Amino acid sequence: MSGAEVALIAIGVLAIVGVVLVNLAQRIDRLHRRVISSRSVLEGQLVKRAEAAAELARTDALDPASTLIVGEAAWNAAVQAPRLVSGTSDLAQTGAERGLVESELTMALRAALGDEEDLEALRGRPETAAALEGLEQACYRTQLARRFHNDAVVATQRLRQNPVVPLLRLAGRAAMPATFEMDDEVFRGTPSG
Amino acid sequence: MRVGLLTPYAWDVPGGVNFHIRDLAENLIARGHEVQVLAPADDERDLPPYVTSAGSTIPVNYNGSTARVSFGPIVSRSVERWLKEGAHDVVHIHEPIVPSVGLIALRAATAPVVATFHSSQQRSRAMIVANPLLQPGLERISARIAVSEAARRTVVEHLGGDAVVIPNGVDVGRFAQAAPDQRWQGTPEAPTIGFLGRIDEPRKGMQVLLGAVTAVRRVHPGARFLIAGRGDIDEALKTAGLPRDSVEYLGEISEADKLALFASLDLYVAPQTGGESFGIVLVEAMSGGAGVVASDLVAFRAVLDDGASGRIFRTGDSGDLARALLDALGNPEETARLKRYARTAVARYDWSTVAARILDVYAMVTATEPERRGLLTRIFRGRR
Repeated sequence: MSGAEVALIAIGVLAIVGVVLVNLAQRIDRLHRRVISSRSVLEGQLVKRAEAAAELARTDALDPASTLIVGEAAWNAAVQAPRLVSGTSDLAQTGAERGLVESELTMALRAALGDEEDLEALRGRPETAAALEGLEQACYRTQLARRFHNDAVVATQRLRQNPVVPLLRLAGRAAMPATFEMDDEVFRGTPSG
Repeated sequence: MRVGLLTPYAWDVPGGVNFHIRDLAENLIARGHEVQVLAPADDERDLPPYVTSAGSTIPVNYNGSTARVSFGPIVSRSVERWLKEGAHDVVHIHEPIVPSVGLIALRAATAPVVATFHSSQQRSRAMIVANPLLQPGLERISARIAVSEAARRTVVEHLGGDAVVIPNGVDVGRFAQAAPDQRWQGTPEAPTIGFLGRIDEPRKGMQVLLGAVTAVRRVHPGARFLIAGRGDIDEALKTAGLPRDSVEYLGEISEADKLALFASLDLYVAPQTGGESFGIVLVEAMSGGAGVVASDLVAFRAVLDDGASGRIFRTGDSGDLARALLDALGNPEETARLKRYARTAVARYDWSTVAARILDVYAMVTATEPERRGLLTRIFRGRR
């Protein structure tokens, strides 16, 4: 085999490897964008959920103690707790903190709303029915948003396990995404069942 | 919202997935959304105004059925053109792993992609082989919907990741208000037992039903078996060793006749042996007021609330089906009680509920910005 032939084959192999790597980088890039956008949707939904909870607390649907606890938990979630979308801080850490605060809101709502019979009573009163419906939709959408976000995260993690990815820095400087964990079941019946 | 729906199966062949897409499209249009459907179709003349043909179809064996699907360079180009001209806010692909227009669109779509998984199935050999090839496409799906727990399990086990369960919709009111047809109404001496589905497809369980005919007739000599659906009934009867007049074959029936049939029947039998992930026909029969006897499939059990809405028999067992049918005919009070429960249980499958949930999913993915296009921007604009 002449030197020219060897060079030609080497170029061919390199080209194929190059295409494969560019492809992989594109997939990671696309997944990262899915993670970021689904996280911002989740952030927006969590805030909407907290607002819907505060809205319900304002309608005197709940007893005075529940009103106070739900109002406090909603304020914590909507204003106090760290945001999921921020440029600098460690997102895995803020995610864990935020998850705890959101779970507290879920638990407060569950306790305040009572069982199926209490819910029926709230649905029967026109002044509370709308607020309750708003909260139900916000909770359902939050479950969807969290599920879709975690799906994107898991797919990204799986792809980034490929040893070539850290070796050639195909993921750039992007931190490994983490799933967002919280108790999101305010009403019985999750999207899964 | 501009919604693009894609089905892998030929539009002119009646089937669960396409009926679902038709109803979803019409419900969304009624709510003021702009909806387009891309479907394989051999005959473009009778398509509804919102359906575009992706090209002619080729029959392939898939999931135990023969499905007519589209693929190839011409189809690929027409998918790309449809996506480009549609400028959708969300692209909703049904059965994305069926090798047809959906799978092609997965690669070409620039809008956020929602995918609905209808079937629950054993992992096919083709899927195992193709999985590494499928993966990049599947990563583009922003939201996965499964129509039942069974379908969701298939997604989790075979594709990884998760899906939210949103059942198929039924226009419950239309079935509940349908007028019965005297020809199909039973009497105490001659009760009517119905089946609707493809006759020559083994997994639809036609032979299981035919195997129970003689045993039921022994106790109720006047019982009438009404069979509706595509296929060769003579062939099916010959296989079962039954005379031609043991069933009444209605042929393929129209949508209006289906409504009347369910409103008229005493009992509806779902003898399917597998591959069913939802059982929309059960919800329709229950909405219409027929008593239901179904095989013991996970999906059917879920729809029947573990037997609270209808009777369940051992899958594929004609003897047990005969027992269940005789039990239903012999205990009319119990059958009426099951029917009453069924009429209220179907509310969760009504389109008003289902369409709202699907729109919730759309809202959760369209709040995200569409993908930037262009190879160079992707590589050189950094990976953040």
